[in-house]
Amino acid sequence: MIINPYSFGVAYDPDAQAFITAAGITDNTQKSAINTLVVSMKGFGIWTKMKAIYPFVGGTATTHKFNLKNPADTNAAFRLVFAGGWTHTTTGAKPNAINTVADTFLIPSTSLTLNDQHLSYYTRTNSNLTEVEIGCNVVGSPPNTLLEIRTLGITYVSIAAGTYTTYTDPNSLGFYLGSRTASNSIRLFKNGSNVASGTTASTSNPNATLVLGGLNSGTSGIQFRTQKECAFSSIGDGLSVTEAANFYTAVQAFNTTLARQV
Amino acid sequence: MTQVGLLTESQKNELVGQLYDEDSYFNPIQDIDNNWIISVEEMEFCVNPEFQWVKTLPLIEYKPKPSPPFPPID
Repeated sequence: MIINPYSFGVAYDPDAQAFITAAGITDNTQKSAINTLVVSMKGFGIWTKMKAIYPFVGGTATTHKFNLKNPADTNAAFRLVFAGGWTHTTTGAKPNAINTVADTFLIPSTSLTLNDQHLSYYTRTNSNLTEVEIGCNVVGSPPNTLLEIRTLGITYVSIAAGTYTTYTDPNSLGFYLGSRTASNSIRLFKNGSNVASGTTASTSNPNATLVLGGLNSGTSGIQFRTQKECAFSSIGDGLSVTEAANFYTAVQAFNTTLARQV
Repeated sequence: MTQVGLLTESQKNELVGQLYDEDSYFNPIQDIDNNWIISVEEMEFCVNPEFQWVKTLPLIEYKPKPSPPFPPID
């Protein structure tokens, strides 16, 4: 008897399959990209360091809202809730810098370890305005946890602190990652390269939800809304120089498969 | 010039907490003149039959409230 292996479909990694099922992804290229991403991150030993992974695949708010690490449709699973005029396409989710925000429901003070955490954002938009891509603080005051990608040529990262590590940035395109791995060690990576390092001491984690698309300043509202299209974002434990480079390799391969890399 | 849809106070109250598609909420905000507005994307992408009236809102130029300085003062 001849068995056609294709009649049984492709066996994906169980975590990739759970996301594919939850998000309702049907396109085979997108399914394969998700599977390769998960397998790569596990191979690099960084999968377990993630709290939330937003791959922005599928082209709609419904497919973009799910957390790859825990694809349940609940706030506790850090599923995104979109508000305002986002534009969802196969290249990602583009905020409008007017009234857009996506709530992660992840509060650093309850879900992240003070001296062991990271944020990332893959931007496909080149701009040079005062825009925060992911972040929160408390009523406009430090401590901040944020990535602010290129204001007047400078990119800022702050994680559980009141001051910033900065990088003179020629453009705002690519994969940005801020990582704190010790009370006195914070690094900014762009496209896998460690472009800035600092010794800013951690103070405490902000007690507000991290949002994509701006800075959640608690009762002061969302500030510094961005226009930068997001093609990937993550929140999790701190990553070393090697882990950050490997993470970029995995994410860039993912976005290249989806024909949206920059 | 960026345009936005102009809302009355009662229209704003109708939209708060409501979905314009399966997984996207309206998010009315105030401009520098304290007008209530929504974005043209919310108007264009609205598929909720209850709120199809947003597609005919008058358009005005978007004038944002000034942002605080960045980085925030410690």
